[in-house]
Order: sequence, then structure tokens, then C-alpha cells
Amino acid sequence: MTSDRSGELGYEVFVTADAVHGLPQAMRIAGQLLLAFLVLVACDTAGRLLSHWFGLPVPGTVIGILFLLGGLVWFRRVPEAVGRVADFLLAHLNFLYIPAGVGVMTYAALLADDLWPILVALFASTFLAMLAAGFAFIAVARFTEKRGQGE
Amino acid sequence: MSDIGIKLIYWDRVFEAGFWILVTLFFYCLALRIQRALGGTPLANPVLLAAAPIIGLLVAADIWVGDYMGGGQALLWLLGPATVGIAVPLYRNFKRVRSALLPMGAALLTGSLVAVVSAVLIGEAMGASVETIRSLAPKSVTTPIAMGIAGEIGGYPSLAAAFVILTGIVGAVFGAAFFRLLRIRDERAKGFAMGIAAHGIGTARAFQESEVQGTFSGVAMALNGIVTALVLPLLWLAFS
Repeated sequence: MTSDRSGELGYEVFVTADAVHGLPQAMRIAGQLLLAFLVLVACDTAGRLLSHWFGLPVPGTVIGILFLLGGLVWFRRVPEAVGRVADFLLAHLNFLYIPAGVGVMTYAALLADDLWPILVALFASTFLAMLAAGFAFIAVARFTEKRGQGE
Repeated sequence: MSDIGIKLIYWDRVFEAGFWILVTLFFYCLALRIQRALGGTPLANPVLLAAAPIIGLLVAADIWVGDYMGGGQALLWLLGPATVGIAVPLYRNFKRVRSALLPMGAALLTGSLVAVVSAVLIGEAMGASVETIRSLAPKSVTTPIAMGIAGEIGGYPSLAAAFVILTGIVGAVFGAAFFRLLRIRDERAKGFAMGIAAHGIGTARAFQESEVQGTFSGVAMALNGIVTALVLPLLWLAFS
């Protein structure tokens, strides 16, 4: 994959005489990205199936993370296409959570029943959990790490 | 084929799902623009900014949520492969994560315990119904796990799912303000605390902040899911 070409793909491929070289190149990149995506899907699916079959308390997607991590450790690098697809999906994780947000409307009546306890519990408990986790992390990090390390 | 009476693909359903995915994409892009225009503030959370007008649209046009979820399910499915992608930043930051195993362990145990216990105690103190409290307990872990736990301890799985999403939004929106208030500046601690308290939606926000924060948040989310799934039902048995 030559880096000098990747930036001009959209134009080169269809318009100029370079189409002879450009089109296969574009298709190869598209193919690699698709393959990388399928690798993520395969890890996720394998994890979910394992979790389901063996009745594991660990969610399938977490097992999928371990599969992919194992693969990366095995190859000792992140293949470029896998890195690009993963970075893209993680940058837009919010998009994928929108339907879950919409789904909350279904429970409007149930939520309204205990509105105040729910609101206070959600805010206070989230704050307290962050406080506990954050301070525990910092306290132990200060204890175990030399000064100046970390961020 | 149709004379056999078996339809393999319901094209009208496919088109409907595609339509709702496009609607979601439209509001997501709009939400991103608004967030960018406001300087990337976490207060303008994309999930909140996009889900609210979609809910408004469904209510105004009297459309059943199930119709929307035809497309919604496809996006929720995609969450799996996207979450698996956390292995990539985890691999890139492997040394950093490995050198923080002890702080992570301490934060995991205290954080997951406080997340559950504080929610239950507050719910009880404020007189919420038993079902609400039981559905509230697993609010800090990812949806599928929370639903399983809620079912196990006698809550409503679907209500638990709603609590999980709301918790995630609260964490993503106010996390940065909480950290400023608590003077927590360590990027790793911020990310880890975010993942413990606010699972995937918090992690989505953490990745908007920085890769280190996102990575630690993702790791925390995964670990908290496992620990809570293992410990909470036992804890519940012991105390009830």
C-alpha cells in the first residue's frame, strides 16, 4: 500500500488514466477494510457463541475483545486496516447507542412511578462510583509508582 | 418462489430498517455538529441530543417504537464488533495498562461495590419500590449483563436496561465536571472511573476525550461487567 496514492483515491480512480492502477488499488483497500470488519464480527460472534454455549457469566463481546487482543499479540502488530476500522467504530460508538436511548421512552411510565428516587440514585450513585474508583486508582497508583511516572 | 409461500427476505422491513438507520444517522450528524459548535462539551452528549428528537418524532407521528427498533436493532448489533475493537487501543497502550494493574484492581473492587450499594441504599432511603431498586442495582454495567442480573435478583430486565442507558448518559455528560470537582487529573484514573460508573456510553465519551481515557474506560467496563455479574447475585443472596 503506497501512502502517496491513498489520499487521491477518490479522484484518481474514476477520472484519469491512472484508473488502470487506481481501481484495483481502491478495491484492494476496500477489501482489506471489509476483511478487517469481518475479523471484528468473527471475534464478537465467536465470543457470544462461547458465552452462550457454556453459560459463562462473561459477556460474549468481552471474550471477543480477548480473541482480538490475542490475535494482535500473536502477530505483534495491529494490521493497518484493522486499526482503521476499530478506530473509526470507537470514534462513533455514540451513534450505535442512540437506539438504546430511544428505547428508554418505552419505560416512561415505569420511570415516572419512582421519578425522584431514580433521579437522585442515578446522579448520586454515578458520582459516588466515580469518586470511589477514581480515588482508589490514584491512591494505589501513588503508592506503587515512582513519582513522575504515568500522567 | 412466492408460490411456495415462504418469503426469505421481507424487503419492506429491510427498507423500513434502512430508513430508520438513515434517520438515526441524520440526527447523529446533527448532534455532532451541535457538540462541535459548542466546543466539544460533554454536556452536548450525542446519544441524548440524537435520541431526544427521534423520540419526539415517534411520539408526534404516533409511530410504534418497535417499528423504529427494526433499524435500531441493527445498530445495537453493530455495538458488538465495535466494542471488540477496544482490543486495538488496548494493544497499543498495553504497557501502560499492564503497569497499572494494581490501581485498576483497587478501583475495580471499590468502584463496582460503591456503584451497586449506593444505588440500592439511595433507592431504599427514598422509598422506591422493590422492583425499581432491584432493577437499579446493576445500572453501571453494560446492558446485556445488567438485564441478566436484574432478572436474577427479581427486578425487571427491561427497566434495568433503561437505567443502564440513563446512567451512561449521566456519567458521560457530568463525568468531566465530577472529575474537575474531585480534582482527579490522571487520564487513566478518569477513564477507569468513567468505565466503572458509566460503562459503554461513558466509554464512548472517554474516546472523544483521548485514546488513553477511552482505553482505560473500555477495560474498566469489561472488568466491571464480569465482577458485577459474578458478585452482585451472591451479595444479594447474602443481604436479603
